[in-house]
Amino acid sequence: VVAAETPEGILLELRPAGLSSRFYAFALDWLIRLAVLYSALIAASLVGGIGVAFWLILFFALEWFYPVAFELSPAGATPGKRILGLRVVMDNGLPVTAAASVTRNLLRAADFLPFGYGFAIVSILLRSDCKRLGDLAAGTLVLHEPRKVPRIFLDAVAPVVPAMPLAPQDQAALVALAARAPRLTGERLDELAALAAVVSGDAGQSGPDVTRRVLGVAQWVLGHRS
Amino acid sequence: MTPLRFEQLYQDEWAELEALLDRVLGRKVDDSYAHTEVSGARVAALYRRACEHLALARARSYPAYIVDRLERMTANGHQLIYRRHEFGFARVKEMLAVDFPSAVRRQVRYVAVATATFLLPAIVIGLLVYWRPELILSVVSSDTAASFEQMYSPATDSIGRVRAATTDWVMFGFYIRNNIGIAFQCFAGGLFASLGSLFFLGYNGAFSGAMAGYLTERGLAPTFYSFIATHSAFELTAIVLSGAAGLRIGHALLAPGRLTRRQALVEATQDSAIILYGVTAMLLVAAGIEAFWSSATWLAPGIKYGVAAMCWTAVLGYFTFQGRRAA
Repeated sequence: VVAAETPEGILLELRPAGLSSRFYAFALDWLIRLAVLYSALIAASLVGGIGVAFWLILFFALEWFYPVAFELSPAGATPGKRILGLRVVMDNGLPVTAAASVTRNLLRAADFLPFGYGFAIVSILLRSDCKRLGDLAAGTLVLHEPRKVPRIFLDAVAPVVPAMPLAPQDQAALVALAARAPRLTGERLDELAALAAVVSGDAGQSGPDVTRRVLGVAQWVLGHRS
Repeated sequence: MTPLRFEQLYQDEWAELEALLDRVLGRKVDDSYAHTEVSGARVAALYRRACEHLALARARSYPAYIVDRLERMTANGHQLIYRRHEFGFARVKEMLAVDFPSAVRRQVRYVAVATATFLLPAIVIGLLVYWRPELILSVVSSDTAASFEQMYSPATDSIGRVRAATTDWVMFGFYIRNNIGIAFQCFAGGLFASLGSLFFLGYNGAFSGAMAGYLTERGLAPTFYSFIATHSAFELTAIVLSGAAGLRIGHALLAPGRLTRRQALVEATQDSAIILYGVTAMLLVAAGIEAFWSSATWLAPGIKYGVAAMCWTAVLGYFTFQGRRAA
């Protein structure tokens, strides 16, 4: 996780995208370009001379400026990246500027060396912020769009007054457990709740009832009162 | 304050901010805010409030969904408020009228080195090949040499690459792809401590020199020079300039001065990016001239040389005088 600070003093957490998701995004973009070029080639061969000319120009434009055009659109990503949930931003989390986008995409020629994006792959693997050479020069970052965190659904659980004072990190741990509860199997939830059973005064015990009481404390921490 | 109370207190503000941001960023909109007027001051005020709330929520370890919601809206607000505007025709005009030539002048040392790296091999190899034509075979294969000779022989309809059932337009597309690719290579090579730029500049210089020397020795000078004279004003300058941009970033990596290497690199790309915009435009012009003007055999060489002289004067004058601030 890379942090970028805003002028308001807020730290924005940016999650850089690693090699595999970027590779899949690149492969998708490559297929899209291939499909466009191929269909354009068919159209061009029907039209003849001037069609071939436009095909060559299209080839050039797609080769160098396909990523630039999409990165400067509001989505900030090529179709392949968008499907994978990736986006290109500046180091400070702002939308990518035209100069940065041009720089990072023209430097693909350097990333590509010695063959098959060799330098890009090494750079992405070695760096904790997963930048390839073009990203380094342009000051850009490829990141995962944050996924939406679901709300906590504990409607059926009655709030339970905690048996002991709870420090903020204890409260946070309980609430996090409650948030994960719907995605855990019953047995696993019971195991985890048993570790926290002291908060409801059931230290050393486990079982569905204890779990319900521990979740009840989480409900109480969230602000529900019976 | 409990998380629920916190959320109840402020969720109206959050919902309003989210709806405003969605509207401005062009995403799907919550209906209840669809018709309200978007006011910048309101967005800024709500954004600052959301920043405060985010700081509070983090400090108090509120549940992830609240922190996440606040993070999301502050990130969007940050993107919207601090977005840089650099588009529009006024910007393009300023780029061409001021930024590009003055960026080139700021980097004049790199331009000089790039010019020398291109010209020296061109002259040396050119003279060598003129003196002993068989040396051309150490630069290109015999087939290539023969095809070049055929291209510039006065007997062909149009000079340059052989046109088999193609049109000027096809060559336009070909030149765009080929030449701009070379220029971008010259730039990108700079990332390897300038070595790549030096190599591509020297290689292209040597190749051009070898061609010129060989064809001159073969007595094809009139067709060859009248062909290249005009578009080379744009093409060679552009290739040298993109090489200079590459040298600039390579030098920043080698000798970052008081900055870290990364800061130096990012700083170096600022002028380089502007130069690359200009280079791309110049190469488009060059490709147009090369395809439609240079190759026309019905034009007298005298006219071509005259136009070429004007183009060279214009290009050099543009980089020397254009966009200087009043003293």
